[in-house]
Amino acid sequence: MPASFVEERRKAALEAFEREPLPTWRRSGFWTTTVRKLQLDQLEPRRYEPLDELPEIVRDDLGDEEHAGLIVQRGASVVYADVTDERIVMLPLERAVEEHPELVEPYFARRLPYDEGKFAAGSAAFWTGGVFVHVPKDVKIEKPIQVVWLIDEPETAQWAHTLAVVGEFSECKVREYFIAPDFDGQALHAGAFELYALPGAHVNLAHYQDWGSGEVFDVSTRRVEVQRDAQVKWVPVHLGGHLTKQTLDIVTAERGSDMRHTGLYFTERDEHLDLFTTDKHEEGHTTGDTIWKGALTGDSRASYEGLIHIVPGAQETDTYLQTHQMLLSPSAKGDAIPSLIVETDNVRASHGGTVGELDQEQIFYMMTRGLPRAEAVRVLVEGYFEEVVQRLDDPGLEELIRRRVAEKLHGAEEQVREFIGERAEAGTRQEAAASGGEARRSA
Amino acid sequence: MTLEIQNLHVRTEEREILHGVDLVVRRGETHALMGPNGSGKSTLANTLMGSPSYEVTDGRILLNGEDLTEAETDERAKAGLFMAFQYPATIPGVSVANFMRMAVNAKRDEPIKVKDFGNLLRENMDLLRISRDFTSRYLNEGFSGGEKKRAEILQLAMLQPDFAVLDETDSGLDIDALRIVADGVNAMRSDERGFLIITHYTRVLNYVRPDFVHIMIDGRIVREGRSELADELEDKGYEWVREEVAAGAG
Repeated sequence: MPASFVEERRKAALEAFEREPLPTWRRSGFWTTTVRKLQLDQLEPRRYEPLDELPEIVRDDLGDEEHAGLIVQRGASVVYADVTDERIVMLPLERAVEEHPELVEPYFARRLPYDEGKFAAGSAAFWTGGVFVHVPKDVKIEKPIQVVWLIDEPETAQWAHTLAVVGEFSECKVREYFIAPDFDGQALHAGAFELYALPGAHVNLAHYQDWGSGEVFDVSTRRVEVQRDAQVKWVPVHLGGHLTKQTLDIVTAERGSDMRHTGLYFTERDEHLDLFTTDKHEEGHTTGDTIWKGALTGDSRASYEGLIHIVPGAQETDTYLQTHQMLLSPSAKGDAIPSLIVETDNVRASHGGTVGELDQEQIFYMMTRGLPRAEAVRVLVEGYFEEVVQRLDDPGLEELIRRRVAEKLHGAEEQVREFIGERAEAGTRQEAAASGGEARRSA
Repeated sequence: MTLEIQNLHVRTEEREILHGVDLVVRRGETHALMGPNGSGKSTLANTLMGSPSYEVTDGRILLNGEDLTEAETDERAKAGLFMAFQYPATIPGVSVANFMRMAVNAKRDEPIKVKDFGNLLRENMDLLRISRDFTSRYLNEGFSGGEKKRAEILQLAMLQPDFAVLDETDSGLDIDALRIVADGVNAMRSDERGFLIITHYTRVLNYVRPDFVHIMIDGRIVREGRSELADELEDKGYEWVREEVAAGAG
């Protein structure tokens, strides 16, 4: 018998889902994200039998690294689960609500209201499989806890939910991978992720998205709550997806909590990426540091908006957000918008953003040392990302990201070369447009 | 074996800067190119390397007889040209060691062995009295003026070009740093290598004694001579040259 707290939410969410229209997200200027091309009624939650072995595409991305636990969800079904560290509880969320309701119920959907639009309602109503991770207090889990969301057939709807709770003073690494082979046709991943870092916990969290060249729509909300004196380092990486709309919120909810948010994206072809992150400080004496870097090729569109929100009473907050974007193609369009809502006094909050192109002076400099133009560009873009990659603090993932970025750059080489060549020819030097601001208020 | 600049006319989008420059540097020779600010010295250096900021409208650049006037910048480097920048670019995320290895390998068919590269790098860093932790820093990021100049000369030492142009490498250096850089350059001087030292001031020429001195004013070389010309300039200043040129023309 399914737990009532899940069933009631499903019922209410289903009503919301049926009521809500397909959303369009608009912002000032040219930016609009629309899912009107998504044929939702053509998609279905495809079910699969369990697998004895990991699919090749999953093995490729995970590498040989050992894990504390691994769950793979393919389409609508968990097809693989292997938990090697007996200290943690890790199992499909469907089973966890029945077998460990006492662990699940206090946290389930606490930060994920079902009535935040059609896709949030859809996830809340239709999620299947799912992942639950519980790390008890006072343990250090060295090996990563891994979750893979795999879509390998078109016309798949994947309604996802992951709940992770990290106990007091525990340490762990949690990674979610979102991967698909290249295929023709549409698919949907509607994700819901929540992680609670209990007092004193230290969590390294990564989301690695690489949906390939299929028409995969990814509309997801991910929220992280950082409790007293806990720290979460969160690294979202977006390397591919036809249309991606992400709402990524990290909440320092209690005094002494600290968040490091380090993101990276690379868009190509006609991909559309819409990122909205919030660094929300619900209590004072909390700290934050956010940096996002992206590069755009082809006809792609990428928008990053990063908000620092400091609520009334959260004095002595100290936080910083910066966002950079590099255009590698004349037909790519992007914007990077840092913003601030400060509802209290005596805080330090600053932000800055740049949108720029590759610097001709840097390319010229490297070429005077004998590097061909294409290599100079590659080295510059990799160097640009390196600052972010190093903050991953995770050699396996660092290597994967370096490799994928290099491959994507290689794919775009001809186009980037033309773009840079045109710029050099015209003798123009595009100065990076910079916007920035700083808010310091004193009582 | 020579670097030959023939009747070089160079312009930016706005205006012509070099109005027909002729200069020949043979291997084994060290030339000084002197001139006041805005005379076109740096334009010449950057044009030799094929900077996209400048356009050659007339004349030629020949290296060992090969016409490099239209060559890509990296091909000029591979042909044996090098420039130490007055204001080198910052390359974030790329360490000094990594960058040096890429540059060294760019000129080789087979990549250099890691051990050989390490030895070569350490040897040259010791020559320039550069501390070892330098190699892991991102190239020129957060470097002081002196560190940037030393990093440029370190690259010169690593790449061993046939011809090196030093674009105001001396400017902004204190006396100790100037001496170290000058010692480094002197150690590099040989019958196999030509130098073109571009400077505003004569003081570097007390450390690196040139064989020939050229004075550039308003995009033209107006006086040439042996190293004594630099001493004369030190005494009399650029105004003296201007007046002489004006008198000669009149």
